[in-house]
Amino acid sequence: MAMIGKDLWYRIKDGDSSAFGELYDGFAGAMFSLSLEILGDRWEAEEVIQDIFAFLWRKPESYAPEKGKFSSWLLVLTRNRSIDRFRSRKRRLDRGESDEILSGREDQNASDGANEATLSDERTHLRLAFTKLPPEQSKVLELSYFRGFNHEEIADALNLSLGTVKSRIRLGIEKLRNALYELRK
Amino acid sequence: METLKQQALDYTLGVLPKDESLLFEARLDTDEDAQKLLIEAQEDCANLSMTANPKTLGNEVRSRVMEHLEPRMDFNPFLESNDMKRLRDNFSFSGDRYRGGGGSVDIGDIVEPKLKDEVRFNYENLIDIFPLLSGSSKAANGNLSELQDKLRKSPPLDHVISSILQNSLPEEDPSIQSVLRTTLTSLPSLSFFSDRIRENHGGIADTRRLFYLCRDQLKIMRASFKDLDPERLIEDEKIRLHGAGLLQTKWWGAEHAYFSSKGKVKCGHFFDGPVTERCVEFAEYDANMYCLANLLAPRSSTGEFHMELLKDAIPGCTLAVATAVMSDQQFHEIELATTKSVYTSCDGKLSYDRFLWSLIEESMLRGHHSNNLQELKEKRIFGISRLNGFCYIWFAWPAIL
Repeated sequence: MAMIGKDLWYRIKDGDSSAFGELYDGFAGAMFSLSLEILGDRWEAEEVIQDIFAFLWRKPESYAPEKGKFSSWLLVLTRNRSIDRFRSRKRRLDRGESDEILSGREDQNASDGANEATLSDERTHLRLAFTKLPPEQSKVLELSYFRGFNHEEIADALNLSLGTVKSRIRLGIEKLRNALYELRK
Repeated sequence: METLKQQALDYTLGVLPKDESLLFEARLDTDEDAQKLLIEAQEDCANLSMTANPKTLGNEVRSRVMEHLEPRMDFNPFLESNDMKRLRDNFSFSGDRYRGGGGSVDIGDIVEPKLKDEVRFNYENLIDIFPLLSGSSKAANGNLSELQDKLRKSPPLDHVISSILQNSLPEEDPSIQSVLRTTLTSLPSLSFFSDRIRENHGGIADTRRLFYLCRDQLKIMRASFKDLDPERLIEDEKIRLHGAGLLQTKWWGAEHAYFSSKGKVKCGHFFDGPVTERCVEFAEYDANMYCLANLLAPRSSTGEFHMELLKDAIPGCTLAVATAVMSDQQFHEIELATTKSVYTSCDGKLSYDRFLWSLIEESMLRGHHSNNLQELKEKRIFGISRLNGFCYIWFAWPAIL
C-alpha cells in the first residue's frame, strides 16, 4: 500500500493541489478496487471515487488526525459510500436476497493484472490471508463488509445465531490483523 | 471492554443501531478506550478493504477528479445581468407540477411509413446495445470486442440520422416534434462515440460516455412516443425524484459531439438536490440540456463550453445555463435561430439550430403550463444573451421545493 501519511492531509487542508494529486496517484487505485468489488459496476465505482475526492477537496476537515490513519479513514469512507449506493440500487431494483448476492466474491486472482506487479507486500499478504480464512469466516466477512448486510440479515441468510455471526466476524478480522502483524515483525 | 470493542466495529461497519450510535459518539468525546477501539476497528476494516481485487483506474478519471481543483467560472456577471433580474422579478409557478411526456405522440401519428419504421428500429437496436455498455459489461472492463461486433452489425447511427432528416419534416406537426427530439438531442453524440468504438478508436472512457448517451436516448424516445415501449414507460412515469447529480455525473468533464463538432464540457456549479419528479419529466429536461449543448458545441471559440445547473440563483426555479466564449458572428447565428421562425439557412439547408430552439420553446410552454410563448420570452424563462465575449443560453424550470 502506498504511504499515505497525515502530512499529505495537512498539505491538502492547506490547499496544496500537488498533494491532492499525490493522494490520487498513490491511493485512488486501492479505493477504486474496493468500491468496484462492492458495486460490481465500473461507472458507479468511478463516481464514488470522484465524489470522495471532490468532498475531500471541499471539506478536508471531515478527517481529523485523531480519528486514526488517513488511509484507513479513506478506505472506510469508500466502503461506506459504496455500500450506501449498493443498498440504494438494491432498493431501486426491488431485489430481495438472491443467489447472486449470497454468492462469493470474484475469484481472488481475478485482478485486471495491470497493477499486479506494483502491489505492495502488505496488500498481497492480506489477500492471501483472506483466502486462507475458514469459509465460514470469509463468508460472513464478505456479506458484512462487501455486501453491507447487518448481523441479523447475515444470521437469517446463513441460518446462524447472532452471536455466531459476530464471533465469526471478529475471528476473521483478528486473523487478518495477525497476518499483517507477522509480516511487519 | 468486549462490548465496547463490538460497538466500535459495528459503528465502523455502519450496523450499530441509531440510538446506540449516538451514545457511542457521545462517549467518543471523553472515553479514550472508545477512541482507541474505534481507530483499531478502522484499521481492521482497512485491512479487509485491501483484500479487494486490484483494478486500474483510467487516466480520464484522474482528469475528471483534478477538474475539482480548477477555479470555478464566475457566474455573477451573468446572474446580475438585466435578463436575470427580469427573470428573478417575474418567475413564479403555482399549480400542479408538469409530469413530463406532454409532447408525446403515438408512433402511428407519423405520416411517413419509412420514418415510422426507422424510429422503431432505432429504439430496438439501442435496447439491444445498452446492456453491452453497462458498468458491469465486458466493454467496461476493457474488452470491447463484443460491443464492437454488435455495433458493426448495426447500421451506423449517422446513416440513421441522415435517413430520418432527409424526410419532409413539417415542424408544426406534433409527431415531427417527437421525431426531431429523438434525432437531434442525444443521438448525434451517441453516433459519434459509437463510430469511435466501431472503428477501433475508442476505449473505456468512450464506452462510459456511450452508456450515458444510450440511456438518455432510450428514455427520451420513450417519453416522446408513448406506444414505443409502454411497459418501460409505466416505470418512467412513476414518481421517483431525479437529482442534479445524475446530470452532473454525465456532463462533468465530458467530451460532447454534435455532428462534426466536438466540445469539452466544463462544470462546477451544479447544486445538490432533486430536479424532476419523474423519469419522463427528467427525459424532457435532459433533451433540453442536449439542445443547449448542441447549440454551443459547434461554436465555442475555445473548444470548451460550460453546462451548469443553478438553484438558489433564482428563487423557485432550477436554472440550466450553457455558456461558451464565442465570436460575434457565431453568436449572431444562434441568435437568428432563436428569433426567426425560418427553418432554412441562407444556403437553403435545413437549420437544425432552429429545430433545437423550437424544442426548447415547446418544452417551456409545457413545463410552465403556458400557451403564451411571447410572455415566457419576456419573463426571460428561457433565452440567449451575450456578455463579456461569452454567449449564455438558459432555461428555467420549476424547482422541487
